[in-house]
Amino acid sequence: MHETRQLTDKEKQQLEQVLPMWKIVLIQFLEHRMAVVGFSTILLFVIIALSAPLIKMATGLDPEAQNPLKRYLPPNSTATLPNDQREDRVMLFESQHAEGLPEFRRELIEKAVVTPAAEEDALFDLVRKETSELQEGLKSIQHPLASEFSNMTKDFETRHLLGTDELGRDVLIRLVYGTRVSMGVGVMVALFSGFMGLLIGSLAGFYGGWVDTALMRITDALLSLPIMPFLIVIAAIDLNKVPAFQSIVGSQNESIVKMVVILLLFSWMTIALLVRGSILSLREREFILAAKTLGAKDSTIIFRHMFPNVIAPMLVSVTLGVGNAILFESALSFLGLGIQPPTPSWGNMLFNAQELISEAPFLAFLPGLLILLTVMSFNYLGDGLQDAIDPKAIRR
Amino acid sequence: MTTYILRRLIQTVIVILLLSYFCFYVMTLMPGDPVELMIQSNPKITSEDVARLRTLYGLDQPAYKRYLNWAGSITQGDLGYSRTYRVPVSELIGPKLINTFILSMASLGLALLIAVPLGVYSALRAGSKIDYAVNFFAFAGISVPSFWLGIVLIILFAVWLPLFPAGGTFTIGVEGSILDRVKYLVLPTLSLAYLQIGTFVRYTRSSMMEAMRNDYIRTAKAKGLSRREVIWKHGFRNALLPLITIATLSLSGIFSGALITETVFAYQGVGKLVYDSIISNDFNVAMVSFIISVTMVLTMNLLADILYGFADPRISFK
Repeated sequence: MHETRQLTDKEKQQLEQVLPMWKIVLIQFLEHRMAVVGFSTILLFVIIALSAPLIKMATGLDPEAQNPLKRYLPPNSTATLPNDQREDRVMLFESQHAEGLPEFRRELIEKAVVTPAAEEDALFDLVRKETSELQEGLKSIQHPLASEFSNMTKDFETRHLLGTDELGRDVLIRLVYGTRVSMGVGVMVALFSGFMGLLIGSLAGFYGGWVDTALMRITDALLSLPIMPFLIVIAAIDLNKVPAFQSIVGSQNESIVKMVVILLLFSWMTIALLVRGSILSLREREFILAAKTLGAKDSTIIFRHMFPNVIAPMLVSVTLGVGNAILFESALSFLGLGIQPPTPSWGNMLFNAQELISEAPFLAFLPGLLILLTVMSFNYLGDGLQDAIDPKAIRR
Repeated sequence: MTTYILRRLIQTVIVILLLSYFCFYVMTLMPGDPVELMIQSNPKITSEDVARLRTLYGLDQPAYKRYLNWAGSITQGDLGYSRTYRVPVSELIGPKLINTFILSMASLGLALLIAVPLGVYSALRAGSKIDYAVNFFAFAGISVPSFWLGIVLIILFAVWLPLFPAGGTFTIGVEGSILDRVKYLVLPTLSLAYLQIGTFVRYTRSSMMEAMRNDYIRTAKAKGLSRREVIWKHGFRNALLPLITIATLSLSGIFSGALITETVFAYQGVGKLVYDSIISNDFNVAMVSFIISVTMVLTMNLLADILYGFADPRISFK
């Protein structure tokens, strides 16, 4: 049996409270547990991507430093530079820092850090020692060259938490830098395709007539194409044969810009359809009629009155678009047509890994797992946003 | 109806023609034309020879003239000659087309076979733990990079547990054996099917939930029909409609995915042919295989629209 009772004052207050829209959306969003998990994962990856230079400094690892003698190291191993290469380094160091060198050597011998047969051998003897012992010894020297020398010896011994790849490069730091490239490309493509879709969709929806027909024919045609063969054909273009492009971009980030442009060509259509649909329905609404009667310009109606109502559903589409863009970028990079090495991306880290599956399965496994995690997070985030902003799903 | 189909057919043909020109133009922007490759392989070639060769092959003409020449020979049934394989393109394409067709259909069938029951089941138990698990499985299917899935399957079932071959189409020497072909098909089919399962599960689930909310379901239950009859005869039949469209439209996605899956598994299909020919500058093959893949997808889309009209009498063609 149900017990009837008077509501307390607090409960009454809660019932009468009016929540602002964003709060309702937020509460709805937080109820979708996987979306929150996805959002946190994305946040984590963004932080990693932004702090990539910091991680590089802290670990002393270079994503492009190759070491042919230390290929395919298993995870959590240390690589040491062989003695002959260390001696080459010392010779280079000595030729670069001729002045002050004798004092530096003398101080080393005085402090009994090394006991060489001849004074000239001091530095060579020093680098033969274990790295920890070497750094310890250098700390006791006050000479200005000591800190420089200690910097140079930093990569004599490197720890590779996730092992090394086919060129002896550290996998961890490459994954960190790959996060930057892959997420960056994904987010950029999604944002630009959002703008492009908004522009084309609103033009088609607002003006109707032949503008609408023409734009929608193009959109439908592009939507119906098999994307992958197209992307491959376009990605294989030699940019030197497209003069305008070369002069705008330059060769520094060529492959990244090329990737963004190519993916953009094939990713704006769904957003354009979505925007067109909502603008068509908005056009018939009373507040647009009111704005028109008051003599508002076309641009005012589009930007001030229509866009705010389109943004919310677009947000979902853009979020899902990031995941798709990351997938396509990685697929093209995997085929060797996307981001060009040495710039690491999650996709091109797998480019060589396939041939060495039996030797280094770990190498093939990790980048793909990161792609899966990221794309899944974006998809869950999009799903959560969709539920959160859908007025039909609001339960209060 | 007939005029609708006719109009769509004409539209499709025009789109294919436009795309073939686009593709032809893009190919002229790729690194290395045939003469450049000859220069590389023959250091004794003189610049007069180069100029003569260019005129001979018509490479000195603008792209649209070359396109018209090429299109002219295509209409006469001459698809050109493959530089890599040293055979006419027409001989090359046939078997690969069949291979891709087998792979696509097998994975589409497998995907539907797994996804539809899963989707229906999770729709009937919405909010349960199983529903969550199915949802997770589906999301992973949408998000997984196809090439990585292929690699993981190879690591699991060809390297660690050597059950299936890691790649290829058939064992050399036993070309006719069906069992042998099936062995090579298992991993690519699994990999390609999982990519579709995610989409199918989500569509089945939502359209099934939609269907089960209808008044006629309540009526059917009130009539005292068994649960099975309510679900399959009244619910599922109505949920099937959007599924038909999704399944036919997904063929375009399967074809896109097949390109990568075929490349990872070294499966001799059209997708791999497109990729290989572009990488190795085999322009004749690239053009023809590209046009064939586009045509296949566009025809499937057309078929989807027409099928939909037959499946749902409420839709009228205009």
